[in-house]
Amino acid sequence: MKDLARRSVLAGALATGAAAALTGAAASARASSPSGESERGFHGVHQAGILTPKRKVAAFVSFDVTAADRAGLAELFATLTDRVRALTSGGVPEPLGISAPPADSGVLGPVPPGGALTALLAVGASLFDERFGLAGRKPARLAAMPDFPDDDLDPSVCHGDLLLQLEADDTDVLAYALRDLARHTRGGMQVRWRIDGFSSPPRPVGTPRNLMGFRDGTANPDTTDARLMDRLLWVGAGQGEPAWAANGSYLAVRLIRMLVEFWDRVGITEQERMFGRRKDSGAPLDGRTETDTPDFGSDPTGDVIPMDSHIRLANPRTPQSADQRLLRRGFNYDRGTDANGNLDMGLVFCAFQQDLERQFATVQRRLAGEPLVDYIRPFGGGYFFALPGVTDPNDRFARGLLT
Amino acid sequence: MERGRLERAGRTTALAAAAAVALTGVAVWQLSGGAQRSPGAGVAQGDGYAALPHVSVQTSPGGCGTGWASGHPGLQVFDVTNSGVSPADVQLVEPRSGAVLGEVESLAPNRSRPLLVRLAAGSYAFRCLQQDTDAVTGPTVTVTGDGRGTPAVVPVTQQDLIPAALAYQHWVAGQLPALVTDVDALHSAVASGDLAGAKQRWLTAHLAYERLGAAYGAFGDVDGEINGPRSQATGFHGVGYGLWHQGSTTGLEPVAAKLLSDVQGLAAAWPKVQLDPAVLGVRAHEIVENAIEFELSGRTDYGSGSSLATVGANLDGTAEVLSLLRPLLTSRVPMPQIDAAMAAARAQLTADGSVPLGGLTQPQRERLNAVFGDLVEQLAPVAAVLDIRRTQ
Repeated sequence: MKDLARRSVLAGALATGAAAALTGAAASARASSPSGESERGFHGVHQAGILTPKRKVAAFVSFDVTAADRAGLAELFATLTDRVRALTSGGVPEPLGISAPPADSGVLGPVPPGGALTALLAVGASLFDERFGLAGRKPARLAAMPDFPDDDLDPSVCHGDLLLQLEADDTDVLAYALRDLARHTRGGMQVRWRIDGFSSPPRPVGTPRNLMGFRDGTANPDTTDARLMDRLLWVGAGQGEPAWAANGSYLAVRLIRMLVEFWDRVGITEQERMFGRRKDSGAPLDGRTETDTPDFGSDPTGDVIPMDSHIRLANPRTPQSADQRLLRRGFNYDRGTDANGNLDMGLVFCAFQQDLERQFATVQRRLAGEPLVDYIRPFGGGYFFALPGVTDPNDRFARGLLT
Repeated sequence: MERGRLERAGRTTALAAAAAVALTGVAVWQLSGGAQRSPGAGVAQGDGYAALPHVSVQTSPGGCGTGWASGHPGLQVFDVTNSGVSPADVQLVEPRSGAVLGEVESLAPNRSRPLLVRLAAGSYAFRCLQQDTDAVTGPTVTVTGDGRGTPAVVPVTQQDLIPAALAYQHWVAGQLPALVTDVDALHSAVASGDLAGAKQRWLTAHLAYERLGAAYGAFGDVDGEINGPRSQATGFHGVGYGLWHQGSTTGLEPVAAKLLSDVQGLAAAWPKVQLDPAVLGVRAHEIVENAIEFELSGRTDYGSGSSLATVGANLDGTAEVLSLLRPLLTSRVPMPQIDAAMAAARAQLTADGSVPLGGLTQPQRERLNAVFGDLVEQLAPVAAVLDIRRTQ
């Protein structure tokens, strides 16, 4: 632990190093309001769970495919389509009479509500290995997540053939959905790792805070701007991608522990200079309110917002960095204690983008060695590709990939 | 150990007990004036199915399915009210085949419960089985229209299961002498201080016992003595823990001798055991459920590293039960899927070889979990369709 090095922050030193994009990345727009998209339903050109507002709780579950062959994989995707469609739509589970145990767990009562679940399915690079003959169809920019300079990755919580991002406003909905999905796919896939998270309400207003107490997601691009989403998020024609991948998006998931006890022993000025924002209001250190745009041009030597502060490194707000912005959609996690008696809590960093290298990896490399790295420990996650949406009742996940 | 086995063995017994309790309840209902309430008045719409079509039907000594005159296809709810004075089972059946689409079991007098069903085109009727009364089948109602319906299954009676139970009892009887011989050999090796020989014979004898899978319920408490957790310091795991942890046979002879006498007692008593036929269907999936819970979790590996071999023996036991039940199952569950799942589980065990669980790679472990997870899902309907039901 470089606990002495952190003092250099106060001196405003130009440190280089590594960390994850915990905060600040792009323009000052807000996620769309909770109305509309959250109830958009299952079918669509894009999957739900990207532009839809974050719900209160989430589960990120990585699976390895255990199906024996290509036909088994196709069956798995068909089953996942059926189940996700049913789970997001709600309704009476099919009566099975005396032919079998009940069709569902009953956890959500006799008639599970529609719209209670948002589910997103993504694929990892390992799905395109020799097992299913898909190597030639891999999304062009999909690879296994590399080990970044300050990472401390545990292989048992990294990567995976598939990733399910499940979101709901109540935890029982997640438990219900996961039980159902696992029950119908036991032969075809097995859980590789899982982490649950939650999104905090505004405290007291504005963008929700992470577990370091800072607002996280202030600078997200405007998700209501379709042209901007086409430039930053969606895979489409002319990008050198296979045709089936159109309307998908790349997803970087990073499991980042926050050393919260250590962090809580750091003075407020030092904390704020590490982020480049006020802790209370979320305003950039040169601004008044959260939504004020930092003016780095007027502060070329970092006298107000340090050159190595998180928001300045992550999003320098230059013409060159405009297409490096990504849509952060992270959830806080809180899961017990470690052997030292310290709390194991942090962030399930989750960001969507058009190009992992151009966006997430570039930002990540710029953050290398930032002062914040001493208070966080990236320990898992992976790169995934969120499949195109299931467009209608006859469509299914990965139809284009498998035909 | 084998907690599930003992508890679940009592599952059908519990149903019988529930019926008995309900019968006692009749008197209470009459005393409280419950029986005077107008039938159907208490039909609850609070079942959560408010958006579905509801039909109220009655069962009483004078009628069965009263209230259902014309049928329509699709998902619907029958609010079944028992207007009689004793508990009743009510089934929705296809009168021609006797196959059941849905049921309400042990319905108390003057109580109503929803029966959710999806009807395809066809002919249907209610069958009412008032306690201590012959079955009454109500009028047939014809449904026309499109769409699939809830699967209908011909119920299994106690009588149907007796041949399989007798055959199973016979099969176990044929296995027990070899088990006694194997345990006797284990005891001899322990008594003579032959550690290597004792370990080898422990494996042979333990697998012989595990292969009997389906018998645990019938073995009763002695199963706990023979194959219970090590904390009891008895049985296979008491001997096994000593052999693999202390590196000698010292002090294990009395434990092995007790094991031998328990197994001998089992063999001697077996001809007099009356195996409950109802247990067989439950066993068909529970052997593998227990293999997952106790063996594939590593919980019962006290040093022998033989969990996978034990699971293999459990598969043998499952295969035997399925083979005896096959005549009852072929028309009721998708046997090809079950056979395929059994074969996949066997193939995975063969591919993994006889390594301790900890020696499996992550992909191996995931495949093992996948095939056994799939197998128990495929086996779950077996117990459901073999649940014993009244039909007359």
